[in-house]
Amino acid sequence: MDRWVPARWDGGPVEVTLRARRGQPAGDTQEALSRWYDPSTLSLLEGTPVNCLLVTFSADVDPEIEKRQHELVQNYARLARERDVAVLGIVHPGRDPMAIAAAADEARLDGLVLEARFADGARFAEKLRAALQARNNAAPVILIEQDPARPRRSAAILPIIEGVRPSARDLADMGIRAGPSAEPWIESNIWLVRSFRLGSDWRPVWISQESNPGSPGDYPRCVADASIAGGHWVISLDDRLRTGLFRKEPDALETWRGVVSYLKFAESHHEWRSFQPYGNVAIILDAGGGNSEFAHEYLNLIARRQIPYRILLRSSLDRAPLAGFRAVLAADISLPTEAERTILRTFAEEGGLVIAGPRWGNAPTDTDYVSVTAGKGRFVIYKDEPPDPETVARDMLDLLESEVTGLSVFNVPSILTYASTSDDGKRLLVQMLNYATTPFKSKITVRLKGAFKNARMHTPDNAPVDLNTRRMPNDWTEFSVPMLAVWGAVILE
Amino acid sequence: MNREQGVVSRRDVLALSGLATGALAFRGGQSSTPIIAAPTHPVAVAKVAGYDQDLVAQFTLMLDQLGGIGQRVRGKTVGMKLNLTGASGKGRRVGISAGQTTWVHPNVVGALTAVLGKLGAKRIRLLESAFRKDGGLLEDAMLQDGWDVEAIRNAAPAVEFEDTNGLGLAKKYSILSVKSRPYIYPAFALNHSYEDCDFFVSVAKMKNHEEMGITLSMKNLFGITPELAYGLLDPVPAGASKWTRERVFHYGEVKPPAGIPQEIDFKSNRYEGWRMPRLLTDICGARPIDLAVIDGIETIIGGESTGIPGSKPAKPGLLVVGLNCVCTDAVAMATMGYNPRAGRNEPPFRVYKNPHSHPPAQLIPPEESHQYADNIVLMGEAAGIGTADLAKIEVRGVPIKEAVYDFESRWKGQAPV
Repeated sequence: MDRWVPARWDGGPVEVTLRARRGQPAGDTQEALSRWYDPSTLSLLEGTPVNCLLVTFSADVDPEIEKRQHELVQNYARLARERDVAVLGIVHPGRDPMAIAAAADEARLDGLVLEARFADGARFAEKLRAALQARNNAAPVILIEQDPARPRRSAAILPIIEGVRPSARDLADMGIRAGPSAEPWIESNIWLVRSFRLGSDWRPVWISQESNPGSPGDYPRCVADASIAGGHWVISLDDRLRTGLFRKEPDALETWRGVVSYLKFAESHHEWRSFQPYGNVAIILDAGGGNSEFAHEYLNLIARRQIPYRILLRSSLDRAPLAGFRAVLAADISLPTEAERTILRTFAEEGGLVIAGPRWGNAPTDTDYVSVTAGKGRFVIYKDEPPDPETVARDMLDLLESEVTGLSVFNVPSILTYASTSDDGKRLLVQMLNYATTPFKSKITVRLKGAFKNARMHTPDNAPVDLNTRRMPNDWTEFSVPMLAVWGAVILE
Repeated sequence: MNREQGVVSRRDVLALSGLATGALAFRGGQSSTPIIAAPTHPVAVAKVAGYDQDLVAQFTLMLDQLGGIGQRVRGKTVGMKLNLTGASGKGRRVGISAGQTTWVHPNVVGALTAVLGKLGAKRIRLLESAFRKDGGLLEDAMLQDGWDVEAIRNAAPAVEFEDTNGLGLAKKYSILSVKSRPYIYPAFALNHSYEDCDFFVSVAKMKNHEEMGITLSMKNLFGITPELAYGLLDPVPAGASKWTRERVFHYGEVKPPAGIPQEIDFKSNRYEGWRMPRLLTDICGARPIDLAVIDGIETIIGGESTGIPGSKPAKPGLLVVGLNCVCTDAVAMATMGYNPRAGRNEPPFRVYKNPHSHPPAQLIPPEESHQYADNIVLMGEAAGIGTADLAKIEVRGVPIKEAVYDFESRWKGQAPV
């Protein structure tokens, strides 16, 4: 499962029926969907890293249609297995779990995936698992989750999370009046993937989205967005691309080749997944807390402010040493225990910065936050419980000197960065993703704390290039990236 | 308007009515100060296709058209106040640099630096108020828009950068008195670089402005007022920014901190559309502009920043350069399709300010039917800085008629950008 590279491969009569209920599709698209499990479509996988297909399997449709679907999938899955491609069946709500399990068993599927729209997906997944186990079938049953907190809590072996479509938009175009320093609004899944990176070992995380209706150039961005922090995008074809691929149209094949080149890039650098997130700022995540929406927004919006951080689980706070951190965001701890108070107070008194909610005590009444000295360090206590994530993320830029964050990036309005280090700490990886639909043809400058002699930039589009590094005062190293098409990764040593 | 507000004079009345003449031939109503004839000076206009053109040659030509400035800059320290609105450099449109919309473009700055260096400037200091903390580097703000800082540093023999939002390299603020007749402030506390320079250049962007209607070389000077001098509120009123500069200057809600020059009359009109054009004229009187450079090659229409709904990138393809800031701004206004003598009822001074980001008192004043800003160039004219009368300004280079890029029709979507 760890090596699965997934693609959503909807098709067959069940899919056509479901689409017809929504008033779509027609003509060529319908033909492509209904004939998608023709063996010829497997040729699209030749020479690609894709080795796991999510095929339409079950839904609330006429039993005859479902039966035809099962027959088609069974044959297609057999051919796929001959190519070492795993097949997972997509289950839509509406059918009996015993019947689905029997059909999946018969088709020898490698697992089942429940659509996120299930009203009580977790319970249905349990029933399906039980039904499979009753048949001595240990294939996994995975629910596409809308709330990442649940699979994180349950330490799911393969979390599939419903993410967002990566994009950058102007606030003004969204009808939002913004200040002169406001940056474009970026929708990203990088924070989401890394929110599952809670231990030292890499584990797979899949990001699922609805079929992508955007431009062909969006596909590589979707791949990169999920891959940068070590996840996988469950490739999802829009109808135009699917139809074009089915008919082997040159434009569609070119788009597909673009997707494949980004997948290959990700797979050829799979060792980066073992790199640890870089950051001197700890964000404490209460995995069992009842405020996951706010907790996720801290992770999302602070990443958008280009502040590198590492996540610490609240449950491990008493064990995880805070040494090595310079600042801790403890806003997700709504009511600190005495033990937590002691740990954080000690951290502050030794020179750290602790950012906390009002229940820490001494909260202000008329300002967003108050700064309180504690030994060599300080606390910043917010008025609101929980503190507003946008306000916290904005304030952290002021509260954290670059000496604390250890990383400053310049000229990245529609770009997000993610920094990680090799286990031995000798290599630092700075990845950049351009969320705009056009290449970013302007110089990006990155400044890192520490001495690095070499910087080499890898992209899916071109051969690696060496970048000049500049030593800066106070033990900083600077390098510049002249242009970024979509995804760039700079290894510093 | 009422006289009890203290700084309203007959020349204001004339200015607001759009009737002011270049040399006001009467004496102010309440002042015995002799009215100064507003001077005139030629303004050079050029059409420039893009930032990849030879801007060094272009500026050399335009300065020659103005009669040359070599004598004034040779062996001197030149200060260049750059318009880097929202100087974090992060505010911009997706896929478009700040230099193409809200900031002056780095190629304009680099070319100007090179030209001034060639003319023999001893030192060229690039200035803007950037960071809300001491010790920030202006170069870092420039990096936020991908500028090649080293290329600009090497464009002339001695190029320096200073963030003027605080003391910078000095130990105290320079107090610069308003040399024109002051409207609101008699003096300002400024970073030392604005006093230290012998020749001062306002390098502005040709833009609309949410509160002021337009922002050109005069408006650009608002950025020379240091936020770190004009204070932080403590405690911060609920819902207010802790930074007071806007409340000091725009709304006149709070006084500057002790030790900083205070308003002439704290009871004068508090409406920002009334205050800011006068206040900016005062700033231009405190730190007179020796050379006004307006970058309209690419810009944004409909506001000074990219975050304003309805704003849109545009390519007017214009450069406007002059030695008198009022004359230069007046000509620039004309190239934008505006009447430089427009009153507060006319575009671009009939404004619409976002009600969520402005106090209610700053929206429609009781005596008006709409929001407004007074015409800054007429304020400058009335203060005697320069004439805004096109009939009295010699335009060199491209005639206005051939240069006009109608901002208003494009803002309203009637013409393609």
